[in-house]
Amino acid sequence: MNETATATTTPNRIASHKTAEAMIVMEHVNKWYGDFHVLKDINLTVARGERIVLCGPSGSGKSTTIRCINRLEAHQSGRIVVDGIELSDDVRQIEAIRKEVGMVFQHFNLFPHLTVLENCTLAPIWVKKMPKKEAEVIAMHFLERVRIPDQANKYPGQLSGGQQQRVAIARALCMKPKVMLFDEPTSALDPEMVKEVLDTMIELAEEGMTMLCVTHEMGFARTVADRVIFMDKGEIVEEAPPEVFFTNPQNERTKQFLGQILNH
Amino acid sequence: MDWIRHHPGAAIFTALIGLLIFLWGMAIPLSYAPEPIGPAAELFAEGTRVTVGLTVVSGLAGLVLGVLVGLGNLSPIKPIRWFCAFYVWVLRGTPLLLQILFVWLVLPTLLPAQWSLSDFTLAAIALSLNIGAYNSECVRAGILAVPHGQIEAAKALGFSPFQTFWDIVLPQSMRIALPALANNLASLVKDSSLAYAISVVELTMVGYRIQAESYQPIPVFLTVGAIYLILTTAFTTMTNAIEQMLDVGRKR
Repeated sequence: MNETATATTTPNRIASHKTAEAMIVMEHVNKWYGDFHVLKDINLTVARGERIVLCGPSGSGKSTTIRCINRLEAHQSGRIVVDGIELSDDVRQIEAIRKEVGMVFQHFNLFPHLTVLENCTLAPIWVKKMPKKEAEVIAMHFLERVRIPDQANKYPGQLSGGQQQRVAIARALCMKPKVMLFDEPTSALDPEMVKEVLDTMIELAEEGMTMLCVTHEMGFARTVADRVIFMDKGEIVEEAPPEVFFTNPQNERTKQFLGQILNH
Repeated sequence: MDWIRHHPGAAIFTALIGLLIFLWGMAIPLSYAPEPIGPAAELFAEGTRVTVGLTVVSGLAGLVLGVLVGLGNLSPIKPIRWFCAFYVWVLRGTPLLLQILFVWLVLPTLLPAQWSLSDFTLAAIALSLNIGAYNSECVRAGILAVPHGQIEAAKALGFSPFQTFWDIVLPQSMRIALPALANNLASLVKDSSLAYAISVVELTMVGYRIQAESYQPIPVFLTVGAIYLILTTAFTTMTNAIEQMLDVGRKR
């Protein structure tokens, strides 16, 4: 306990200790929906800059796992620490974590009554209390990065699915998050739009963003992931670097899953 | 209708100006009409102004009431929810005519004597309470119709519950609720005629009196009906245009 506690201001950060090194720590996390045990003793540590792909059959708990990280779902036991901030029932802790964690949804969830630019500036202005001009400069920067600055004044309904998902990525990035969570970001897209979204995500990964991605895009997992995690029935069944995961899976359920999705 | 869609701002302006000109000057052309309409032109105009006054005042008050009660119905606090549910239950479950009579006869006895509310005010209060109950259900439905993903996205961006409600849920729910609210307003234009029961001299009452004097119900009631049609057309043109203006997000 000799290390100086640098971040003792709100939110309460856990100084020293190895949990401060990791970006996300999940320890013995359990969750139930009534009698149904959705997450069974999940243990997962994500290092800074690490890229993780979660895969598994539907209902395996992979989306629920990442949704617990920013408290869109509450876990019932175990602990979750994000960037040294422990997730508790304290609203300030939850809001502090949400400011650092960006999320991209399967169905984009852009705000249909706001323009693309307003979608990107609303949270910086209202949550981070940023001046409007500054928020717009940042928003345009990220819209350029996802290659749709020319659509800034359109409404989400006027864009294609792929464009909407890229706006959703830009919207999350405008909050300058330290972690990005992707919940099946390409599952709702037409096939020809999957690539433009994956390319955007690959660029983000190359810049060193810490990413947790629930996806069935195994090509993406192969090229981008540092680790692939396979979940089934609420448990982490297997985790390995992609080269090992795809060529030499150990668990019987993993082999079966890979057999189904790779050989069709 | 296409014109309203493409120029909603101009449509609102035109309907509003048209309505004002109609209210101010309708007696002039009407006075050239043959017996029994012509001589009573000024009465028709006065009755129309009362009808529009009742509609606008109760429409606005009913909108505020509707939003408050609609929210109250979704409140996490049980007593607020019970109170709002009770209010809607009573006001939707009893005749409007009864409510008007009740407010007219009972409310003044509950208030200090020096307040002496006019019949018009009492009618407006009853109409506001009634349309507020119906509006609250439209607002509640609008709020429930906003997809849950919108709330999740706002939460994930760090919005507080209030910011989520104010910036994300409310604007979208009002857009969803608007056609139903406009429907209630169109009903209100006509329901205001029930104020005749407490001797408010509005349009229907004017028609009733004139035909009683002239023994000519057909031309009198046709005129009254035509004026109501003009009023509802003006109001629905405005609400359609507002709907178009709020519908920005869905335009392709």
